Amino acid sequence: MNTQKFKNCLRGILPALLLILPTEAAYSAEGGVVETYKNATAPFDDATHVEAVLPLAVKTVPVSERYRGKLFYTEARKDKLERFSCSKCHNNQPVQIPRSAEMAHGKIALAHGSEDRPLSCFTCHKKDERDYLVTEQGMKVDMDHSYQMCGQCHFRQKKDWVGGAHGKRIANWAGQRVVQNCTACHNPHSPRFEKRWPATYSPPLSKSK
Amino acid sequence: MDPRKNKICQKPDKQNCQHNRQRDRREFLKGAARVAAFGGAAMLTGCSGTLGSKEELSLRWKEYFKKHYRLMTPEEKDETVQRLERLAKIRNGVNIQMSSAAPIDGVLFGYAFNVTRCEGYMECVAACVKENNLDRKSDMQYIRIFEMEHGQMSPEVGNAKFFHKVPVEDHFYMGVQCYHCQNAPCVKACPTKATWQEPDGIVVVDYDWCIGCRYCIAACPYYGRRFNWNDPVVPKQDMTKKQHYLGNRMRGRGQMEKCTFCVQRSRSGRLPACVEACPTGARVFGNLLDPDSEIRFVLKHKKVFRWKEDLGTDPKFWYFVD
Repeated sequence: MNTQKFKNCLRGILPALLLILPTEAAYSAEGGVVETYKNATAPFDDATHVEAVLPLAVKTVPVSERYRGKLFYTEARKDKLERFSCSKCHNNQPVQIPRSAEMAHGKIALAHGSEDRPLSCFTCHKKDERDYLVTEQGMKVDMDHSYQMCGQCHFRQKKDWVGGAHGKRIANWAGQRVVQNCTACHNPHSPRFEKRWPATYSPPLSKSK
Repeated sequence: MDPRKNKICQKPDKQNCQHNRQRDRREFLKGAARVAAFGGAAMLTGCSGTLGSKEELSLRWKEYFKKHYRLMTPEEKDETVQRLERLAKIRNGVNIQMSSAAPIDGVLFGYAFNVTRCEGYMECVAACVKENNLDRKSDMQYIRIFEMEHGQMSPEVGNAKFFHKVPVEDHFYMGVQCYHCQNAPCVKACPTKATWQEPDGIVVVDYDWCIGCRYCIAACPYYGRRFNWNDPVVPKQDMTKKQHYLGNRMRGRGQMEKCTFCVQRSRSGRLPACVEACPTGARVFGNLLDPDSEIRFVLKHKKVFRWKEDLGTDPKFWYFVD
């Protein structure tokens, strides 16, 4: 009689056990990596943890903004411009060389802004000081800091760029944070990426498909 | 006669007899060992061609009987790395620098992929093949880029075999590779413990302990693993010389391999090859435990999702949209 009772009791408990055990297992895995990173709030010092980060070969300038109070850097641009400095020709006097505009800037195809309201040269370039850019509000912008220029319209992209969701870091994930400037990827005169052939292709996984 | 006398008389004989038998066995074992050594050596060279120099043979012998990577002491790791460097020099004439760099404390690698930004240029795939010494003969690639129509959410319905000018209107591109799951099914499936997760979150393979059973391929819900059906062919001049024991060192036929977040680069602070090659900045890589890192910014401020999150594999690879 007793054993019968015991059996009945077990039968009653078993479904409950079956319900409890798997859910427990699932819950223990639920926190996972999301929980892990959310709990990691202590600042991480690259310099003490990561040894021997290769120094970058590019010339950098400090960005005028901070991300979470941290200074970061961007690639310098002026040393890469073909004809910098602009004031070599544009020095407050009319340029006298015939067809010079075509020779010097003929390659530029301006495709920036909407079709009904396209940008012109002097939307960005400062007319009386050609070595600089100028914002809508008249602030002078150095060529190395073009993000200040782009950011006045593309403020969402700029916010992402400061944080690291737009654009990319150069070479290292650790050490000094150096990110690419807007103009490293986008041609400022026609910023949209061009349609082109991919670098390679993926072979089919099976011959039948 | 006195039986005792007899016994004494017989004793030396018996001893002699036993001694003889012992010597026989010893000699037999010696001979057997010699045959085994020769056979083993022949097996190592695949029973074809020359046996190689004495040095090569001895190096390969030691390689064959080395321990599992996780059981090795730092000295043993150094030794095997030196052996592999020397073997690469002897057999292929290439000077490689191999490392067995340990995971960095306080680092858990995470990856994010921007499906809005990726344009399908496939620069990442080309860079990955080059960096990781992937087999050129079977066109092995760790990364696959799927071309998908707007509204599609799973690469299973995408097209990975596109070859035309990109990007195509009304399409987006989604890259798929190993997700380095925190709760990795492939690790559980491996019968020889040849694959495991390192403390920095990278799921690695000890190629020499892989028996090629391919259970892990079957276990992976993401098609993240690759199998060497043939001996990998990498032209000498294209080989990446900076290698890691768990990363891009040369594999053999019948061994499993996979993306390692470029362990040879990421453990010395560099970005993986795919991230560095990406021309649109669609790929974000960094330390999940660093609150100031780029990956943490993405996870905090962007709409992120993980593929097949419901499986509970807990991948450390997020997709996000701008």
